[in-house]
Amino acid sequence: MSKVIERPRYVCALGGAIGTIQSLPRAIPILHSSSGCGGNLAGALSGASGYNGGNYCGGQALPSSNVSERDIVFGGEGRLQEQIENTLKVMDGDLYFVVTGCMVEMIGDNVHAVTKRFKGEKLPVLAAETVSFKGNSYYGYELVLETLFRDFVEPAPVKDAGTVNLWGVVPMQDVFWKGNLGVLKSLLKKLGYETNTFFGQGETLENLKNSGKASLNIVVSDAYGIEAAKVFEEVHGVPYITVPLPIGDHGTSRFLRTVGKALGVDEIKVEKLIQEERKAYYPYLERLADVYNDLDFQRYATVVGDPNYTQAVTRFLSDDIGWLPELVVITDILGEEQKERVLASFGEYESGLRPEIVFDEDASSVVGYINRHWPQNQGQKYHKGFAPGVIIGSVMERDTAEQFKVPLLPVTYPISNRVVLNRAYVGYSGGLTLAEDVLSLVVAHR
Amino acid sequence: MDYIKHKVPPVREDRLMACQAYGGTCGDLSTESKKGCLYASKRTFSQTQGCQLNLSLGMISSMRDAVMVIHSPIGCGGNLIQNAGINKVFQKLRQESAVGLRWINTNLSEVDVISGGEAKLRQAVLKAEREFRPSAILVFNSCVPALIGDDIDGILDDLQKQVSAKIVPIHCEGFKTKIQATAYDSVYHGLIRNLVGEDNTAKPAVIRTPEEEIEHQAKISKTVNLLNVGSMSRIDEEELVRLLKALDLNVRILPSYSHPDDFTYAHEAALNVSICATHDDYFVEHFKQMYGIPYVLRTIPIGIANTNKWLRDIASFFGIEEQTEKLIAAETAELKQAIEPFKAEFKGKTAFLTGGEVRILTTAELLHNLGFEILGLRGYHFDKYGEILLDEYLEDVPNSEKAIFNIGSGQVFEQANLLSKITPDLFVGHIGVNGSAAKQGYPIFPLFGQSDDYLGYKGVYEVATRVSRILKNASFNKNLGKNTRLPYRDSWYEQDPFTYIDDSASIAARIG
Ligand code: SF4
Ligand code: SF4
Repeated sequence: MSKVIERPRYVCALGGAIGTIQSLPRAIPILHSSSGCGGNLAGALSGASGYNGGNYCGGQALPSSNVSERDIVFGGEGRLQEQIENTLKVMDGDLYFVVTGCMVEMIGDNVHAVTKRFKGEKLPVLAAETVSFKGNSYYGYELVLETLFRDFVEPAPVKDAGTVNLWGVVPMQDVFWKGNLGVLKSLLKKLGYETNTFFGQGETLENLKNSGKASLNIVVSDAYGIEAAKVFEEVHGVPYITVPLPIGDHGTSRFLRTVGKALGVDEIKVEKLIQEERKAYYPYLERLADVYNDLDFQRYATVVGDPNYTQAVTRFLSDDIGWLPELVVITDILGEEQKERVLASFGEYESGLRPEIVFDEDASSVVGYINRHWPQNQGQKYHKGFAPGVIIGSVMERDTAEQFKVPLLPVTYPISNRVVLNRAYVGYSGGLTLAEDVLSLVVAHR
Repeated sequence: MDYIKHKVPPVREDRLMACQAYGGTCGDLSTESKKGCLYASKRTFSQTQGCQLNLSLGMISSMRDAVMVIHSPIGCGGNLIQNAGINKVFQKLRQESAVGLRWINTNLSEVDVISGGEAKLRQAVLKAEREFRPSAILVFNSCVPALIGDDIDGILDDLQKQVSAKIVPIHCEGFKTKIQATAYDSVYHGLIRNLVGEDNTAKPAVIRTPEEEIEHQAKISKTVNLLNVGSMSRIDEEELVRLLKALDLNVRILPSYSHPDDFTYAHEAALNVSICATHDDYFVEHFKQMYGIPYVLRTIPIGIANTNKWLRDIASFFGIEEQTEKLIAAETAELKQAIEPFKAEFKGKTAFLTGGEVRILTTAELLHNLGFEILGLRGYHFDKYGEILLDEYLEDVPNSEKAIFNIGSGQVFEQANLLSKITPDLFVGHIGVNGSAAKQGYPIFPLFGQSDDYLGYKGVYEVATRVSRILKNASFNKNLGKNTRLPYRDSWYEQDPFTYIDDSASIAARIG
């Protein structure tokens, strides 16, 4: 049985789907749901995601059938039909995408039957049943991608060896998604590949439509986007790999080696690129040689959040800046298979560190794990605790950080105490940004 | 009014015949509303809006020492996520030891949808009690369990025997109403049924000597409940408390930011003072019915005219007219002098306002008084309380019959269309719709805010200074206006803004 969750860090499949669609260029989501679902989810998609706004069509601009009690009794298909017709007249988009809320799923509306009537019109109208009692935001992301891959991406029997697709960075749930996708794209460019990231800066629906010709799909996650990758492979015959989200030198060098190998890039070329990147990376860290050591900047760390970021941040802290991220709390709902894959991404540290990793969805549990890992002082004269410590998590860790009197850097969703525009944490450049942010906290907290 | 015996309160479409879709002028609305059939109109194209669950959370999630249980699949209540970790700041202004937002979602799954969500609800309530030992557990019911037919009251009655927190069921299922303001009724309903009055089974009744009792009654005869459902900032509260104290009254503030115990003796008051009928009519009517406590409900103290009206209503109840007139005279004389410079500055400028019916009509009067011409208003909904205020507004603000009045919650496509046609110098909007107007390049004054003052005499001055500041440099929004695009077709702006309001049903209702 699924569990009740104290302060969940995600919303429902509908919310994840809306966040995903509204991050595509000029795409218009059409909600077939109760009037409140969209408005309710808007806060989670914007305010909680570093004030992302609604992009082109989000927030209160979202078209929604707003089915009410009456429609629940008589069925909402007629209302949906009317809503789609009028949406096409009022809203200016290149792609329309119907997504559903729980209520219409419970009454059994057949949205596919309705959207089929719009087939052959000038503009594409897609639909996905984003059944929100079956899954959360990530499931919604997965469903939207699957639908795009099946119904929007055009068949391309001839593949282009120089093009790849990349996903697994979930818009909104990764607050830095747009910056991150940009970094990954330019990194792969350096390896010699054009990359479709679908959601990043400068992407077009045309690119998405033609993405079937790619030679490889790179899923930058051990948890998200994998089902969609299977669909892509089945429909378009493009294989996929999964690779952990990379932050800093150690993470990104591993990333390049994995991707390079899968693409059959010459090993020497990959190593040369890594060397070049390091030559740019370390002179920045070098600046901190005095202050890091004069003031003893090493810290214990607790890392809290989704599997993508927690593994990336842990590796960065451990292997790039020599910290002790001894405790990791992963807060997403994961199946056993997912958990196993995710756990495997927390290994092989240069530092030899073996962090304690726990899976727990409840926000207030974090305090307990910290106390268990570093037992509290019971009045002993000699005691070793979570000090000096730092928490890398979300804004939900605010109280926890206050309680332990340690600084908090919000990196994982939700983030409502920072404004995020094009900041990126992935890649070599992102590692420097993260070093800047986390070490600034340490200096400011002196 | 007597709905408290029922488990679930009625929706506003039924109780107040509230209207949620209309487009016309102030003058037309005043006439047509009196015919009483506007409630039947609807939209054939709509945008999302928010439901009474969202608003219920907005109203009462600030309650101190409480844990909320959202009984729903994982998405409902998602709005709270943006306040996690932040809300505490506002609570702390009222109580140092505040702990911030705590909530549990029952995460209803497919299995629960088929076989009922009762077990999950039990789990959540027991978890809230075990982990946090709060004074109250507020349970918000959503659409899905309502449709499954979960007997939440039955389960909660049963659970109440096992937990020491007071359990407050709130029936705020979104799909039942398009009038979000039904939320106020749903929350008050739960609070009145479960928190008001001493629970003599738990605590012995207070025993007083005759002298103490006389003193106690004297205190009650000078005590008012001042109702804040979240639309008053802490500074606003302080301003109204200042005015009421100047009239020698004791003030108890409910329900936002309050502690569950604050309700126990809420019925020990001489008068309920509302600042907005949209918020409080359900509460004050029931308190009158149940405890014989009268109320004032007419208007919100925004702007000089309405602050005066509000104070006079209170004064006439306590028979302290003379004292009040002196206060009003002193306050207004001082204020009028202070705002004089702004009048020259704002002369000839135009404004458009959107938000709750009561708040926009009074804020419009305030701006008019500062020199603005009001070109149009958009209300979330409209009912008999709006009708009274609209008529007063038409009297207070000459020549406003021709100003636009549009009714709709959200529905920013109508707003965008209107703004492209009437181009005001200032847009005044409620959160949620300001970004849209910003992308059209308008300077924006937020209709309310958790950190700013709007109410009473001080509010008038503060609003004037902030509006003046905002108008000094609107470059940010101008840049957005030039460089961004709203998601509507060009052809939409050529159409009538009210094209998708279908009032055939209300015409039928009128004829039939
Ligand atoms: S399902 Fe109902 S209660 Fe939940 S957000 Fe949607 S309208 Fe509101
Ligand atoms: S009802 Fe379902 S779709 Fe709507 S917000 Fe709640 S969980 Fe999401």
